[in-house]
Amino acid sequence: MRVLLIEDDALLGDAIQAGLKQSGYAVDWMKDGVSADQALGTEPYAAVVLDLGLPRMSGLEVLRRLRSRNVPTPVLILTAMDTVDDRIRGLDAGADDYLVKPFDMGELTARLRALVRRAAGTTAPVLRIAGVELEPAAHSVVWRDHSIELAAKEFAVLHALMLNAGRVLSRGQIEEQLYSWGEEVESNAVEVYIHHLRRKLFPELIETIRGVGYLIQAEKNTGAGKHIPDERDA
Amino acid sequence: MHRHGSLKRRLLVLTLATVVLVWIGTAAFTFYDARHEFDEILDAHLAQSASLLVVQSSHDLGEVETEHAPLLHKYSRRVAFQVWGAGHVLRLHSVNAPSQPLADREQGFSNSVIDGIRWRVFSTWDESGNNLIHVAERSEVRDELASSIAGNLMKPLLISLPLLAILLWVAVTRSLHPLVRLAGEVARREPGSLAPLDAGNAPREVVPLIERLNQLFVRIEASLQKERRFTADAAHELRTPVAAIKAQAQVARAAAGDEERIHALDNAILGCDRASHLIEQLLTLARVDTLGDGAIESCPLRAIAAEVIAAIAPAAMERGVRIELMEGNEMTVRGNPVLLRILLRNLIDNAVRHTPSGTSVRVGVSGESGRIRLSVSDNGPGIPEADRVRLSERFYRPLGTSASGSGLGLSIVKRIAETHGATLQVESRKNESGQIDTPEDNKGLRVTVMFKS
Repeated sequence: MRVLLIEDDALLGDAIQAGLKQSGYAVDWMKDGVSADQALGTEPYAAVVLDLGLPRMSGLEVLRRLRSRNVPTPVLILTAMDTVDDRIRGLDAGADDYLVKPFDMGELTARLRALVRRAAGTTAPVLRIAGVELEPAAHSVVWRDHSIELAAKEFAVLHALMLNAGRVLSRGQIEEQLYSWGEEVESNAVEVYIHHLRRKLFPELIETIRGVGYLIQAEKNTGAGKHIPDERDA
Repeated sequence: MHRHGSLKRRLLVLTLATVVLVWIGTAAFTFYDARHEFDEILDAHLAQSASLLVVQSSHDLGEVETEHAPLLHKYSRRVAFQVWGAGHVLRLHSVNAPSQPLADREQGFSNSVIDGIRWRVFSTWDESGNNLIHVAERSEVRDELASSIAGNLMKPLLISLPLLAILLWVAVTRSLHPLVRLAGEVARREPGSLAPLDAGNAPREVVPLIERLNQLFVRIEASLQKERRFTADAAHELRTPVAAIKAQAQVARAAAGDEERIHALDNAILGCDRASHLIEQLLTLARVDTLGDGAIESCPLRAIAAEVIAAIAPAAMERGVRIELMEGNEMTVRGNPVLLRILLRNLIDNAVRHTPSGTSVRVGVSGESGRIRLSVSDNGPGIPEADRVRLSERFYRPLGTSASGSGLGLSIVKRIAETHGATLQVESRKNESGQIDTPEDNKGLRVTVMFKS
């Protein structure tokens, strides 16, 4: 799960980046509005954490430009500005959530999970497909009443595939969700993680579409895993 | 006058007193003027009466022996005459005339007192020179006449004074009504209300007062707003370091390894340092106003600069930055030494923060055409023209600055410069010929404070 963090304060940005990494996110960190705008124009992010008081381009402007391009990526505004007017302005500019500094790291990650969940069209906090239960908040995977130990990257791959159940994800798309900028992408890493997941769970869970990518079949009537185009797309 | 005396009572008393005084003055003048006119008229009458007697006496008096003339009019009791034959034999006199001569004089007017009665007398000899004639009138008649006229003048005053007082009271009350209304309006206001007062139908004399009050309200409102904005800004500015500390602490708690935990804890400590620096700067800014009222004395600017540099130098050396005080003479500035020290510390601290390691910060104190110039230059990245204008705004941090600053340093410097009547100038470093010193220097920043000497 790759997240874009836009925050100009060095210490706070460092802490949020570390905190999000602890929760299994890959984090790109931009310190001004213009580079954030550029990053949003080129990279696919699962969610954006946006500070408003930014140099070079204000956070609200970044948000407006993002929405004017019809990008549905969920955006959480994280700011010191706490008046009702500020919140209204932020939400009306296209933000999905608003959190005021100082905040609790646990709340920030929980809100991000909720945003990602909703963006994927699911409401259940626990993803269930073919008997595999994935709980993003607890970072846990349960299969046949057994807790399955997964490495952070393995978990992220499984999470991405389950969120997009019924849809084929290319290797590149999965890599984009795994690595932040500057992180070295190991060759064949995705194949290795898929291999591990098949071994730890069961081989039939993840199907390989030769030359295209990987897929977890959506289950009917689970309410989860089916990718519904976001209503904000319209 | 009592400190809180009533304007109404004062107006009433003054007006009534003036009226009474003017009236009394008029009456007195009238009394004396009338008295003078009566004297003339009555004297003329006396002389006329005497001349009649003179004509009469030359014909009839030869036969008359000490005869009483009858009284013909109520005032005639007050008029008396005597005809003295040969000057010493009383030949004819009025009933009310005394027996001794009415006057010692034999010609013209005189005053005399006989048996306690004051007389005005005209004396003359008749044509034959045989009879001395005295015609006299009691003086009190004249007094009575003048007094009665003056009294008649005073009487309407006595009657009209209470009436006048009532009318004046009504008039004054009505005239003062706008003032009373204004006072009521001010008194009824909410304590925090700074809405302007309505000068609509106020009298001309009160309009300046209302206008001044309204101007004052506007000024208070502006400074209150500034204060509120500052408090809000300050709260916001404090939120970010607090958020950073909290987030770092939570990262430390959830950290999987020692390295990660120590990194987060170090950052949390750094965050505390930054927050306390910000708080210090906020307090300094708040104190500038109160300290500005302190004693003004002659301050040796160079000595203060040396003192501040000595305090900052060790920390600067650690960052590989040298601070130099340029050669020059001591310059004395009128001001508050505590504030000047804060000003210098902020300027030099700013420069040290922004200049790269291995370069130096230069502090100069010099005199220049009646002014004293304090300049602090660094070799840092400088600030683009557009950002320079906003530099002394509170909490303004230009892009690319390390977040270690509070964004208040130059605000503090500007405030202190203002309280000393000095001007603040921020510019790119150039040498005197307008050339940039060296290519590496072209971004350096120079802050200059110009004091009046």
